[in-house]
Amino acid sequence: MLSDFFKKTPRNYVTVRVDTPKVPAGLLRKCKKCNSALFAEDVRNHGEICPKCGAYFRMKADQRIALLTDRGSFRPAFTDLLVENPLQTAGYEEKLARLREKTGLDEAIVTGFATIGGIRTAIGVCDGRFMMASMGRVVGEKIARLVEQATKEHLPVILVACSGGARMQEGIVSLMQMAKTSQALRRHGDAGELYISVLTDPTTGGVTASFAMLGDVTLAEPEAMIGFAGPRVIEQTIGQKLPKGFQSAEYLLEHGFVDQIVPRGELKSRLQTILRLHGYKADEPENNVQKDEAPQKAAAELKSVSVGKRKGKTPWERVLLSRNRERPVGEDYISTLFPDFCEMHGDKLFGDDAAVVGGIASFHGRPVTVIAQMKGHNTKELVKRNFGMPSPEGYRKAKRLMEQAEKFGRPVICFVDTPGAFCGLEAEARGQGAAIADNLFLLSGLKTPVLSIVIGEGGSGGALALAVADEVWLLENSIYSILSPEGYASILWKDSKRAQEAAQVMKITANDLLELGVVERVFAEPETFNKETMGGLVKELDASIAAFLERTCGKAPEELIGERYARFRKM
Amino acid sequence: MIRKLLIANRGEIAVRIIRACRELGIETVAVFSTADRNALHTQLASEAICIGDYRSVDSYLNMESILSAAIATGADAIHPGFGFLSENSRFAAVCKTCGITFVGPDSSVIERLGNKSQARATMVAAGVPVIPGSEEVILSEERGREVAAEIGYPVIIKAVLGGGGKGMRVAASEKDFTVAFQTAQKESEMAFGSREMYLEHYVQNPRHIEFQILADKYGHVIHLGERDCSIQRNHQKMIEEAPCEALSVTLRAEMGKVAVLAARAAGYENAGTIEFLLDQNGRFYFMEMNTRIQVEHPITECVTGVDLVKEQIRIAEGKPLSLKQEDVILRGHAIECRINAEDPAHKFRPSSGQIKQLYLPGGNGVRVDTAIYAGYEVTPYYDSMLAKLIVHAPNREEAIWKMRSALGEVIIEGIHTNLDYQYDILNDPAFEKGDITVNFLEEFSRRQEQQKEVEDDVV
Repeated sequence: MLSDFFKKTPRNYVTVRVDTPKVPAGLLRKCKKCNSALFAEDVRNHGEICPKCGAYFRMKADQRIALLTDRGSFRPAFTDLLVENPLQTAGYEEKLARLREKTGLDEAIVTGFATIGGIRTAIGVCDGRFMMASMGRVVGEKIARLVEQATKEHLPVILVACSGGARMQEGIVSLMQMAKTSQALRRHGDAGELYISVLTDPTTGGVTASFAMLGDVTLAEPEAMIGFAGPRVIEQTIGQKLPKGFQSAEYLLEHGFVDQIVPRGELKSRLQTILRLHGYKADEPENNVQKDEAPQKAAAELKSVSVGKRKGKTPWERVLLSRNRERPVGEDYISTLFPDFCEMHGDKLFGDDAAVVGGIASFHGRPVTVIAQMKGHNTKELVKRNFGMPSPEGYRKAKRLMEQAEKFGRPVICFVDTPGAFCGLEAEARGQGAAIADNLFLLSGLKTPVLSIVIGEGGSGGALALAVADEVWLLENSIYSILSPEGYASILWKDSKRAQEAAQVMKITANDLLELGVVERVFAEPETFNKETMGGLVKELDASIAAFLERTCGKAPEELIGERYARFRKM
Repeated sequence: MIRKLLIANRGEIAVRIIRACRELGIETVAVFSTADRNALHTQLASEAICIGDYRSVDSYLNMESILSAAIATGADAIHPGFGFLSENSRFAAVCKTCGITFVGPDSSVIERLGNKSQARATMVAAGVPVIPGSEEVILSEERGREVAAEIGYPVIIKAVLGGGGKGMRVAASEKDFTVAFQTAQKESEMAFGSREMYLEHYVQNPRHIEFQILADKYGHVIHLGERDCSIQRNHQKMIEEAPCEALSVTLRAEMGKVAVLAARAAGYENAGTIEFLLDQNGRFYFMEMNTRIQVEHPITECVTGVDLVKEQIRIAEGKPLSLKQEDVILRGHAIECRINAEDPAHKFRPSSGQIKQLYLPGGNGVRVDTAIYAGYEVTPYYDSMLAKLIVHAPNREEAIWKMRSALGEVIIEGIHTNLDYQYDILNDPAFEKGDITVNFLEEFSRRQEQQKEVEDDVV
């Protein structure tokens, strides 16, 4: 090194510092993720996001409210609750007074009413600066009152969680807030209102174990830490190092507890979409949505297409066509029929199954729940979707979404396309049979209309779990069967190679099924059937679904359930 | 008193500042990127601290990191050098907030002079001549013609949203105006979707003349004469001279007075440079003020005997100027050639690699400011300037001879440089005659190409 050879500058003074340069408090902030020092001003102007690496900083409640609600629409409420010191904890009141002085907040949560895209909502936002937004009596009380008021006014509730959990200084009283908030939300839910929970970094402890995890819809910010027990506590308890990404929003999504991870910048528009898809309307509608009458008329003229006379294909050929990779899959129907589809992930129990996709959308102005079994057009997609073979998680996700559809009065539209439910150790261990049975049970009594369309393979119980419907429709070359022709041949004749022969005798094609009364309608397919040529069919489906909804949505639940009962009872 | 100074820069200017500090007994802190671990400034400073990745945005432009380095090392001042953060008003402001002396003017001054229209307005108000131009957006040819007559031909018509020479036309006289305006406006419409134009008096074949200013916080403002920086390639200066042969004693005095006036109008403090365009009739116009030390400052140091960097530090310490205007006497002639790591044979594309062999000239009146050494690795990440070769002689003719001699001695092996190109300029008769405008290099290159064709034909 050259510096080893250079002579140093002699110091000709003694350092006596009078005013050492220093960074004034509040000028710089540090990013926890990339370790960069950042100007606080830049972080603020960048929506509390690290300008260098994109990591999220915590937001103050007022910033969050400004981000999520229409400008100037927020009106705080329940700000005058008395602080109590139920356990007479020493210094607690002084601490609260100091924090109130420093933050300008009355407590760790800001509650009030605001509009989001013109839709009036009750909103509560935790502020981590106030004792890490732990939930003491006042926080619980504010949430309870907000939710009660929302129930009274038929408003949706949005709670943005960011909390360390219970407030130690308030002991058992703090614990009771978990029950109190849950109770209030239960009444709100029973009244048929929507609660959206937004999880931000960090959401832990008693908050996770109460209101934060009770959303009809649960959204999370990317990389937010969300968990019940803190990572340090877990590490000490089990004596193990925790894996990277443990208790992150992404981890929760993978494990089925979060519907969506939404980047901060999209949060407001996503909330708006979800509110709209739950039937909430802006106070002053920006444009009067005119109901489109045309398709219904068109639908009325449509008749069931009997394809009995369209000979020329053997059952086995149809089996192969139903499995053709070029054939449109669930995703293709969703993107063409439901352009504003908003996907919801997870079964809230164990995981998120990519073989079943579900969510909400609007169809001709009407909110609907859409559930589709997913295949793919190439190996990569197929592997991701497990070749369209759902796991119990997939059925449980469908069940959860059907229950929500019932709560919010949405019809359910299912797209069936599966070789069968996944056969595997894990699937059995987690109760594949029970999961399917649960869906048959649930659908038997679902109070809203259910339509199932078999778009490819309708493989056995795995298909039926989405097809205990008011009507079942089939595409010309779809099949619907007790099991695959290969399986049939293997069981009956101990030779899976005789699948062609099996296909012949199993009565699994559209024609057969129509005759057997298993399906109501069959839709003709173009000769070459793929994403490019599906336009005509989509148009026909669109009109037919509209007509179906028109027929069924007006019916009383008892009538609907009764007809559904009769439909399967006669088989 | 500054006890420890952090140099927020790299390369030869960082070395230049470190040397000035050593002479003043000030400790130095070098900051370096991961690519500059072995750079001379890193090695020469009393302390060195890594501030980030090789990318400038992560290191030499990373204010937060540099500030943290200053606090961590206990530096009480920061010298920004040139380029990088030197004219960043926010950086200057943040230094002040942290109680660190920023060697340069106040952030408000940097901001005001950095904003073109604000700077122009300040100068107009102070009575400093600026290039006459339209005050308003011009949409119609009729209005344009009126304005052109007011500001005087030739005029240049420019698109408000313009850039890259598009939507730009010169009208030499009124009879050219219609065609020029219509073409420019049409181009602007096509390229930027805008019919908004503005007009400026067109200064034909000007020289780039800049005056060095020093100002302390007690209101003393002096100028240290001018530099002629007309030898530019794509607005990159290549050769600078001081003084400018084209300036008479009276014109120099007049321009100097205006420069001081301009600096005063801006409330300037520390070393700065006022740039003028000088036309062939001796009319001059304010262009902009640079609020930092310039690359070419050594030629002013040669002819005035003032150490500008030391003066900067003294001013920053709050000391009054060490000399008055009447103490400034220009002696002899100085020339600076910038030696760059670039390949003239391939459109001056930057060259990088290890310097295998290095020989630098010396002797009477020869100065080399550089940060390279034998074995040094030239990286592609930063400015391509390797060294500044500066000569000082009693007059221009002798200075040119001295520069030819010195350039001829330089050996840099391992990478491409513009040495030969510089050598050719120094031997060009037009250069020798002092026939210099900002278009010099364009014409010079054309002459060279023609000559090459002739030679090729002979072969």
